[in-house]
Amino acid sequence: MRQFLSRSESRSGLSPSILAIPILLILILIPAAGGFASWENLSNLSSQIAALVIVSLGQMLVAVVGGLDLSVGSVISLVTCVLATEGWPLTLTLPLAFALGASVGLINGWGVAVMDINPIVMTLSSMTFVQGVTLVWRNVPGGHIPKQLPFAAVGQTLGIPHSLLWLVLCVLVLTVVLRHTRFGLRLFAVGGNSASARLNGIPVRRITISAYVVCSMIAVVAGVYMAARIGSGDPKIGASFGLDSVTAIAMGGTQFSGGIGGVASATIGALSLGLISNGMNLLGVSTFLQSAAKGVVLVIAVCAQRRKSVGV
Amino acid sequence: MPDGSSAERQDPSGVVVAQNVSKSFGFTKALDNVTIIGKAGAVHAITGENGAGKSTFMKILAGVYRPDAGRIFIKGREVQFSSVHDALVSGVSSVFQEMMLLPNLTVAENMFLGREPMSRGTLSRRIMMRESRDALARVGLEVRPEWLVGHLTVSEKQLVEIAKGISTDASIFFFDEPTASLNNTEVERLERLIDGLRAQGKVIFYVSHRLEEVFKFCDTVTVLKDGKHVATLPRASLDEDQLVTLMVGRPVQDLFPRRKKCRSSLALDVRSLVPQQGAAEVRLQLHRGEILGLCGLEGQGQREILRSLIGVIKPHESDITRISKEGDASPLVPEAGVVSCLRKGVGFVPEDRKVEGLYPDLSIYENVALGPMNRLALFRLAPRVAELVKKIMKRMHLQASSMGQPVASLSGGNQQKVMLGRWFAAGVDTLIVEQPTRGVDIGAKAEIYRQLRNFTASGGAVLMISNEITEIIGLCDRIIVVRQGLTVFETAGSAATEEILMEYALKDTPPAKGKKKKGAGTSS
Amino acid sequence: MQAFESSLNTTENTLKRLLSGAWNLSPAYFGTALLIAAALVFRPILLSGAFFGVILRQAAPLGMVVIGQSMAMRCRSIDLSIGGTVLAVTYIASSHYLSGWPGYMIVLACLCLGLAIGTINGVLITIFRGSAVIVTLGMTIIFIGIVIALARYTPPGEVPSLIRYFGSGRLGGIPIAPIIWIGLVIPIALALRITVFGKYVDAIGSNPGAAAVSGIPYLRVIFLVHVFSGLAVAVGGLLLAGFVGTGFTEAVVGQDLVLNSLAAVILGGVTFGGGKGRIVGPVVGAFMLTFLFNFLTSFGFDESGKLMMQGGIIAVAALIDAAKRR
Repeated sequence: MRQFLSRSESRSGLSPSILAIPILLILILIPAAGGFASWENLSNLSSQIAALVIVSLGQMLVAVVGGLDLSVGSVISLVTCVLATEGWPLTLTLPLAFALGASVGLINGWGVAVMDINPIVMTLSSMTFVQGVTLVWRNVPGGHIPKQLPFAAVGQTLGIPHSLLWLVLCVLVLTVVLRHTRFGLRLFAVGGNSASARLNGIPVRRITISAYVVCSMIAVVAGVYMAARIGSGDPKIGASFGLDSVTAIAMGGTQFSGGIGGVASATIGALSLGLISNGMNLLGVSTFLQSAAKGVVLVIAVCAQRRKSVGV
Repeated sequence: MPDGSSAERQDPSGVVVAQNVSKSFGFTKALDNVTIIGKAGAVHAITGENGAGKSTFMKILAGVYRPDAGRIFIKGREVQFSSVHDALVSGVSSVFQEMMLLPNLTVAENMFLGREPMSRGTLSRRIMMRESRDALARVGLEVRPEWLVGHLTVSEKQLVEIAKGISTDASIFFFDEPTASLNNTEVERLERLIDGLRAQGKVIFYVSHRLEEVFKFCDTVTVLKDGKHVATLPRASLDEDQLVTLMVGRPVQDLFPRRKKCRSSLALDVRSLVPQQGAAEVRLQLHRGEILGLCGLEGQGQREILRSLIGVIKPHESDITRISKEGDASPLVPEAGVVSCLRKGVGFVPEDRKVEGLYPDLSIYENVALGPMNRLALFRLAPRVAELVKKIMKRMHLQASSMGQPVASLSGGNQQKVMLGRWFAAGVDTLIVEQPTRGVDIGAKAEIYRQLRNFTASGGAVLMISNEITEIIGLCDRIIVVRQGLTVFETAGSAATEEILMEYALKDTPPAKGKKKKGAGTSS
Repeated sequence: MQAFESSLNTTENTLKRLLSGAWNLSPAYFGTALLIAAALVFRPILLSGAFFGVILRQAAPLGMVVIGQSMAMRCRSIDLSIGGTVLAVTYIASSHYLSGWPGYMIVLACLCLGLAIGTINGVLITIFRGSAVIVTLGMTIIFIGIVIALARYTPPGEVPSLIRYFGSGRLGGIPIAPIIWIGLVIPIALALRITVFGKYVDAIGSNPGAAAVSGIPYLRVIFLVHVFSGLAVAVGGLLLAGFVGTGFTEAVVGQDLVLNSLAAVILGGVTFGGGKGRIVGPVVGAFMLTFLFNFLTSFGFDESGKLMMQGGIIAVAALIDAAKRR
């Protein structure tokens, strides 16, 4: 039987080196990037990474059961467009958005758990399809988000930016789900060894499909936040979130083989990635070079994971 | 002798009754109409050679497999398990080799997986920790419930499984070779535990090869052979020799071609091979024209020796020379990987055709044709070997509609012939073979033996391992018994008997002088 | 009577063999036949000389790219770095950095770039064992980012006339791009069928575990597959640059190419680890997809419809493959 965990590994994926990354980044950025430590910038940072943290939490759930979900970005774009539909009230668009997210998750989960399709192929195809649907809904950025929403994302209460509140709320909810529910425990069991989990009576398929559904619904939450933040619908706004969330959880120590991960690791990874973006913004690096840099980080983070198989 | 008659079935103290159970896998009959009864407060040993059916029986009772025929009664009620979980609920607790524990879950989580206690809608970790602590204390394991199972030793994991059984209040316990990876202190701890379980009136089934253990604390002994029930006796009425005799001894089948005299020139000179760090050093020599067989109980290290010789596993140390048919000597360096060893004219036939041997959607021709390509550079033209393949197919009596047939659709025997055919086509002069006739029918077996014999008659050499003792004795010119990674006994095939081989395979101390048959084998 | 029965039997057997052979033919062939039939009925203009020539030139870049992609997928890997490679190649071909160089040197430089990217992919996948999907996606992001950032300072201009000739020129009335394309496909397809390398690709895809243990140098083969893919993509990029005439400043074209390459390969009967290394099927698939999108555009399909179709094809093909495996 393979040696699954080395003596020092924990199930959360955290390790001293993982924790060192954001700390190092902060230490570098304070002197190097002017204005990093300002309250304004930190508030900006929080609003920039809130969506990424939220999406990464969902991505982490899927990674724990050994999969990946590339379609989260398209879901975010779709949600902003749905919410920005002229004349439709929130009482209609919000439930619709969640329903759509759940359907995408169901289809992804079914393809992976029942039809045994590689999760990357499955979510790549759903990502493309949903992007197409989004473009049908709204071709160019525009539309109108109902008044109540933007304040919920952009405003401040008692000096605390709302983005931080969204972040903290999602982190808390997911912590409870992972550590204090049967579902959370079973996610880890399925990811650790699905054959053993099945022998223990766990409904492996159901748990896997649920992971994808919850991930998509969390992406909807991120989409609502983004809609509030930009104030309109943008069919391409979510495009980078797919790979960014994968990069974030990899940087946080989550293993794609399954069974290892956690809220802390996803959050720290997203924080690290966010710091890199924020730092590059402050240093005036062009957005395109920023994405190239993120590509480098992604490649390094992925190659740093131990793997036996070669290929997909 | 009690052997499952109806009187036994009515016996009220029999807590577990497995009646007329049969199970086949594909075309191997693993269990054939076996009846076994387990009584409360007793340790019931189940012994037999490799492939006798012990593990299959256990897995059926544990809910891993469903029997093809037969009925199972627990405490008088008939049960049918559709999963391991079902069996657990009915009170069966199995200590397999870590089959059921999740390495990334804590001890407490593992113990309650599938039956997690809830309080007010959330997982009650408090209850889990408390009850785990109790169960762990009862088995005397000083492990904290919040530790991850992946960090535990094998012995600790075993005890966690037992603790799990205790906390589910199981009434039936199964142990499958539990002491395989334990040291003396850990074995003693396990023994005390089993004693305690017995005192509590549990039914305990104990599958083991280690005769010392069987005789130390088992109450009844059941012997299985080739899937059939041979005898069930109280331990007191048996001694070790009688037990061995019951386990072996079967009609000899005339499958094996006549042995030929082998040459004295060497094909492989293994001056030193240490398969893994901490393993014993192995030395052996393989001669031209010889079939050398390594045998022993399963998991005693034969497989590791073979695989580290050919480079599938990287050995810790090695000093091997390979001598070709023409007499060219060159070092064989398994540390450089299997590809380099195979390029030197040594073929390897793994035991699991499906996973490591064949290319299922490729045709017979394509599978065999990969052999001669072995030593060619990547961009050379692939040689057209249709004639050669046809010749080999004919020589081996490979039944197929044409060479274009995908190998996945062939029978086990024919698939094995394709594997051998690949190396014959490649023109190797030394073959390393694991389980040459696993999952192969009788007719194909005879054919394969003949092929191997012909191969050696024309100067080839074969080093093989097999779990079938009759095959080893019938086919091999020389036999080495392996136990715990050491070569403990060597004999000529013509002088070997099942008893002598089993004795060396089973016992820690070699048999007494008077019983030993003279082996004519040369040692290195 | 017996002779009649036996002749009936042979007819039956031949029919069965034809049908099972047709069944094994990839969807690309059926799809193409259907499309051409539909075009004959609804949009015959697409089949006219001028239009057809455009479609062929459009299909050539995709057709080159699928060569590498189908080899990669056949041995259970994948190459998603196509977008970045194509963008980089078209930028180099059309940028002013190399404006002083003779045409064939620029072509060589682009091919070297493709080789280099393929090599990096190969190293990351076989030595570091990174997931091929994520590694190649990462590479594409890196190169797209770098190229577009550079393009802001030095926008791409026109491509050299040599490359233009390859992409849009004609030879005796027949467009050159498809000539180059088919001219490369034939020897490559042949090579895969008859060389040791091609057989190894088939074997690795069929059972990677067995490949390791039976002496196939599978790491080297997979590495080389990625190197070739990089080269093939570079050729495709050159043909694309030649067709369009200038470099690109948007990443869309490349991303389109990646998705289409996946769809075309799967339509061509090659899936992860399956499909016997056929190059011809995916090539037909490339043609079919290009034809399909032109057909649909003439009915008013735009980007959204295209994306839905691409996603749908990949999903359906993956489903069919999964269903076959059971």
